[in-house]
Amino acid sequence: MTTLTQDALRKLVAQWMAAGKVCVGPVRVAAGTVLFQRLASAGDLLLDGWLRPANSIKELVLPRHEPLYGYRADRNRIELLDPPETVPEQIAICAHPCDAAALPILDKVFNWDYRDEAYNRRREATTVITLACTASDDECFCTSVGLAPDAERGSDAMLFDRGDGTFGVRTLTDNGRAALGDSTAKSGKTNPPPVKFDLFDAARFASRHFDDPFWQRHALACVGCGACAFTCPVCHCFDIVDERSGHDGMRARNWDACQFPMFTLHASGHNPRHTQGDRQRQRIYHKFHMYPEKFGETLCTGCGNCARNCPVGLGVLPLVTEIPHAEPV
Amino acid sequence: MQNLYKPDLMEVIAVRQHTADVKSIGLRFLDAERARQFTFRVGQFGIFSAFGAGESTFNICSSSNWRDHIEFCFRKVGRVTEALWQAEEGDTLGFRGPYGHGYPFEEWRGKDLIFLGGGIAMPPIRCAIWYALENREDFGRITVVYGARTVGDLVFVDELAEWAKHPNVQVIQCVDPGGQTPEWTGEIGFVPTVFERAQVPADKAVALVIGPPIMIKNTIPVLERMGAKLSDVYTSLESRMKCGVGKCGRCNAGPVYVCKEGPVFTFQELQAMPMDY
Repeated sequence: MTTLTQDALRKLVAQWMAAGKVCVGPVRVAAGTVLFQRLASAGDLLLDGWLRPANSIKELVLPRHEPLYGYRADRNRIELLDPPETVPEQIAICAHPCDAAALPILDKVFNWDYRDEAYNRRREATTVITLACTASDDECFCTSVGLAPDAERGSDAMLFDRGDGTFGVRTLTDNGRAALGDSTAKSGKTNPPPVKFDLFDAARFASRHFDDPFWQRHALACVGCGACAFTCPVCHCFDIVDERSGHDGMRARNWDACQFPMFTLHASGHNPRHTQGDRQRQRIYHKFHMYPEKFGETLCTGCGNCARNCPVGLGVLPLVTEIPHAEPV
Repeated sequence: MQNLYKPDLMEVIAVRQHTADVKSIGLRFLDAERARQFTFRVGQFGIFSAFGAGESTFNICSSSNWRDHIEFCFRKVGRVTEALWQAEEGDTLGFRGPYGHGYPFEEWRGKDLIFLGGGIAMPPIRCAIWYALENREDFGRITVVYGARTVGDLVFVDELAEWAKHPNVQVIQCVDPGGQTPEWTGEIGFVPTVFERAQVPADKAVALVIGPPIMIKNTIPVLERMGAKLSDVYTSLESRMKCGVGKCGRCNAGPVYVCKEGPVFTFQELQAMPMDY
């Protein structure tokens, strides 16, 4: 099917859900707020009237709270309990290219040397059906990090909104073909955001100006809430904590964020990143210097969520576009 | 499928209290097969856990030649270490590892060894000292300078005396001025000063320096004055860690994950890294 109407897409979603697949797509959860959420019914799927959800689809592969294993204590003996080995098949519908591209980027860190099975299990069970973007806002900058409103990376299929209640369908992988059949629709009209900064300049500044007063100056406004990291498609830092209830309990992985002082605080009281400036620098440094150096990938897809969700107007784009260009190197 | 984060269960076989707030614990794998195949390199670390409290990162402070158990040492300072403090013989703790790189003993062969430690930093040196003594013919002169704030803060004190009995081994203990007791027979002064006073030739030596930042900062110039090259001076970095396997994203010192690419670094390597540790 090269073309799908909105109704036909909803019917397909209903079929997938009836077959036991977890379907996740944009849902209006409150006036003005659209989030990627597990759909309770195909009718919840919001097919137009939004630019991008305030969160990302990373929850499909890295849930914000994930039990790693349970344990049961009987006096001084401990029994470990594995979590379920299988996860249900899951389909993200109407992800954006900046969401889809995040998954192959995340694959690198979760598989270098040590394979993270919890991540890989979910990743392998995930199909991503992307909706190419027809509009962008001031915070969008996918074209500055090598992506585009119709970039195919990480997508199993791509939909092109024809503007008349129909979608062009292009399937890209076996998973995509399994969901939507073999289809090769042409790209629709996209409206790419202009290139807003030079990726090389950002990487160079982050690596060579580690102690620049720039970081402290720009971090003064930061309240350290972590919204940037939690809504980012590729921020993947996590904590491992125990949750105990009586003699039983579990060890779970929860999202964490480099903007929290506790993130790097030693038991001795020493903190390698003790100011918010150090922590803002770490976020940019990780995304534009460290991750590219280790994995050949920028840890940013230009979605703009960090800036859109920041209560004080920070985020990657506001910071990186302020980087002084005339700095001596 | 293997769960990266699932620990081995280990039985507490020994608990030693070193100071008012420092203990070391000896552990044996409950799974006999795992015990047989387990190996590590001295200098590597593990993630140790008390169920219900959580996980913490410590150096494996026993020698890799001791095949029947491993040891770790900790100060009671937080939620996990408070729970570990309560552990008794027969209790079950969790262990993940070994992680990180150990000390490159192959490269140290034929050299003199200088071990400089301060306070609670002794455990990651102690395993190296035992390993060197167990392979005594591979190394030249061995010098240990170990200091703490007060006599009561020294750990593994009985072993210090044992090391000194070995041929061509010099062990110097010191406490900060004011930290001595009337019975104290060791030196009084800070590690760098006491070490310089001892005039140990360092030009053919490898040095392992672990301690608080101020000790390290003042010790490096002394080592250089005595002829050591920074590429022969090693340390083991501390870092808050969660995963231990380069995923949770917090322990990087500049571009380097301490858990996977450390924790052992030379000072030449550290000089090339930004102050992020």
